[in-house]
Amino acid sequence: MMDLRLPSGLFFTLIGLILVGMGVFAPETRAALTDANVNLYSGLGMLAFGVFLLIMAKLGSGKAGGGKA
Amino acid sequence: MQLAPVDYLILIVYFAFVLGIGWMLRKRMSSSSDFLMAGRSVPVWITSLAFIAANLGAQELIGMSASGAKYGIMTAHFYWIGAIPAILFVGIFMMPFYYGSKARSVPEYLKMRFDEKTRTYNAVSFAVMTIFSSGISMFALGELLHLALGWDFNVSVLASAAIVMAYTFLGGLTSAIYNEVLQFLLIVAGFSPLAILAVAKAGGWQGMASRLQPVMTHAWKYAGSTKDNPMGVEVFGIVAGLGFVLSFGYWCTNFLVVQRAMAARSMSDARRTPLIGAFPKMFIPFIVIVPGIAAVALAKMGAGYSIPLTDNGGPDYNQVITTLMAKFYPAGLLGVGLTGLMASFMSGMAGNVTAFNQVWTYDIYQSHIRKNAADRHYLNVGRVTTIVGVLLSIGAAYVAHYYDNIMDLLQLVFGFVNAPLFATFLLGMFWKRTTGHGAFWGLVTGTVVASFTYCLTVAEGKGGYIGNVHEFPSAMAQSWWIAMLAFTGCLLVTLAVSMATRPKEQKELEGLVYGLTKMPDTSGDVWYERPWPLAIAAIAILIVLNIWLF
Repeated sequence: MMDLRLPSGLFFTLIGLILVGMGVFAPETRAALTDANVNLYSGLGMLAFGVFLLIMAKLGSGKAGGGKA
Repeated sequence: MQLAPVDYLILIVYFAFVLGIGWMLRKRMSSSSDFLMAGRSVPVWITSLAFIAANLGAQELIGMSASGAKYGIMTAHFYWIGAIPAILFVGIFMMPFYYGSKARSVPEYLKMRFDEKTRTYNAVSFAVMTIFSSGISMFALGELLHLALGWDFNVSVLASAAIVMAYTFLGGLTSAIYNEVLQFLLIVAGFSPLAILAVAKAGGWQGMASRLQPVMTHAWKYAGSTKDNPMGVEVFGIVAGLGFVLSFGYWCTNFLVVQRAMAARSMSDARRTPLIGAFPKMFIPFIVIVPGIAAVALAKMGAGYSIPLTDNGGPDYNQVITTLMAKFYPAGLLGVGLTGLMASFMSGMAGNVTAFNQVWTYDIYQSHIRKNAADRHYLNVGRVTTIVGVLLSIGAAYVAHYYDNIMDLLQLVFGFVNAPLFATFLLGMFWKRTTGHGAFWGLVTGTVVASFTYCLTVAEGKGGYIGNVHEFPSAMAQSWWIAMLAFTGCLLVTLAVSMATRPKEQKELEGLVYGLTKMPDTSGDVWYERPWPLAIAAIAILIVLNIWLF
């Protein structure tokens, strides 16, 4: 069985990178009612979550996860 | 709302991943049970999240944020008093019978416990219901995308349906379940920033409370009388109608969710699927209901946000979530939010299609149309049914598009069919004397009682086709009372007919009825893998939440 942590980890890493990229290279992109650099912060959050899933997939084909090949 | 190229990029990345997951799983589909039942081999954390995600469709997201704006935090009772107790009950008490009986579906359990006619009644009504629910959900999404982005209704409906069809056709239930997990995570990622940003802008919870009527921010304080809250309900209706009859009817007997638990690897995993799912479930109100409440507070502040209006000038709460996103999400995160909305639609639709698939193939086709074919044949039937199911859903979406009122009526009809079902299961699983005739006529009575109640009472100008015996303060109160009466009617008739007819031999009921079934022994497992400690932990958190928002 496929280890779902791998594709979902990749997905969130990718989306996180896109948002962080927006936050860094286009920091003036703002919505009408927000003042903070929303893309940067939420992107960092998603990137961290994606990397966490990837590490979990790498570490464990153990019993906690889905890694039985 | 205007989308930037980066938003489209995110949407495309998401589509690529869901299709990719379906593509990677396609090779594993070698039997009908792989395709329709995921081969009973899915890890428990995945089934748990899918269990929650299959129910978290677009209609649920849009509807719950709309109800949040309309009724306030009392809407959370749909989760806390509604879903959670029923979810815990199905995990602890009912899963041993569902999973242990080796039944492949909920209707098939009814066949084993009762008889063919009860199974067929349930299978047919369930099949019709899933098609219409996925059609209504598709309609809700298509209309919202049209209003928010100006996307063509036809294009957005057909394109999103085509993607769901592609990945369920390739990988069957496994693909639907795996994608539901990705979709669930994406819904959380796409919606929680909105809750945080909107609440912060409205001055935090205290700031919101100071700007709103007190009933909006209290879950119980104004539930003493139907006159005190805009929902028009009181404690008894909440606990008995929503909490007991409606929610138990849904979470304990609806194959759409039960199917996820039945795909688990073992009995222990199957029981823990709902129990683990309960934990994320109880926090979903904070990302779907709270933004709706914040929207009303923001509109009162005059800070640049106002509640969208319908054509006739009333508030259009269904658009709250997309208009908030437009105001709070910059290009980039906006793409994630929108993708989250698409993801919720897809997980709901794939849930319906896969449940329809299995019930059609095993409970209708195999038991009535072609009995003893090779397994290969049923695998092909399952694949074809995926396509047919999606096409029928699209048809239902257009019915909803052109005949808005018919859909209201149909949704009520589902209530008529669903509400009595829990009485049947309760008696069937816990009273060995219950007979097939009792179950069947009880169900029919429940449906008839519900129809008559609807035709004799009025709420918000609806119902009362025969006469007006009673007027309810809200449509919600009416539907809860219909459910309670239908449940009671079904319970009484099932009891009476069962006493008058001959029960099955005890031997035939082993594994199907409480008292004649060895409950799984979990004493050797660590505490967090045992059902009761998990359930008690969930209840403890639930109580804290309710006290906090009393």
